[in-house]
Amino acid sequence: MTRQIPIRLFGAFRQGRSDATLTVEIDTDARVSELRQAMSKALDSDSARALLKASAFATDTEILDDDQPVPEREISILPPVCGG
Amino acid sequence: MIHVDITEAVLDPLAALSHCCADSHGAADLFIGRVRNLNEGRAVTAVSYDLHPVLCKNIFAEICREAQGRWGDHIHVYLVHRLGRLEVGEASVITAVSSPHRAHSFEACRYLIEQMKVRAPIWKQEHYVDGDSEWIKGHALRNPA
Repeated sequence: MTRQIPIRLFGAFRQGRSDATLTVEIDTDARVSELRQAMSKALDSDSARALLKASAFATDTEILDDDQPVPEREISILPPVCGG
Repeated sequence: MIHVDITEAVLDPLAALSHCCADSHGAADLFIGRVRNLNEGRAVTAVSYDLHPVLCKNIFAEICREAQGRWGDHIHVYLVHRLGRLEVGEASVITAVSSPHRAHSFEACRYLIEQMKVRAPIWKQEHYVDGDSEWIKGHALRNPA
């Protein structure tokens, strides 16, 4: 069994894209590390894949570790931050 | 008292000082972060801020609660960040703290801005005089694999 995961994109991940999400397919019981692999395959440039390595997956309430199961909630990918 | 927000409206330092006020507070500290016209040798005209609204406010609140944990529940804490395109000179962030004595206000106000910069899901894209734009490299929220 698989499921579709729409990933919200922020910052440099939006560069050159008209949409703010990227949808990937993963196994129903996949962990965040597998989501990362699926997203890496779906990205269209080496620079985006390099950015992904330094980025964190998150829900609205927490940053996710790679060994966690992918929760049934909205998922975002957060590149390195620089507020202020 | 804690106040956190993200907004597209111009930031108001007086609103921060109004929140950070109590008869028992003899000190109030205010920090304003502004868009500057030069970064790493490149002339900047504006900065566009992108952020994750819900997670950002959650993390702002978490940072403010930590400040109260360190310097006392009685301190008043304020943390607001702009969203969207800002021209040079505009305020992008305001942090403020009031407390009975100045040491705690200084320390807590600095804590807010330093923690916000490395933990809040906010990204900025600089726009340059030559027409180019670039997303600024920041602090990773995960340990690299």
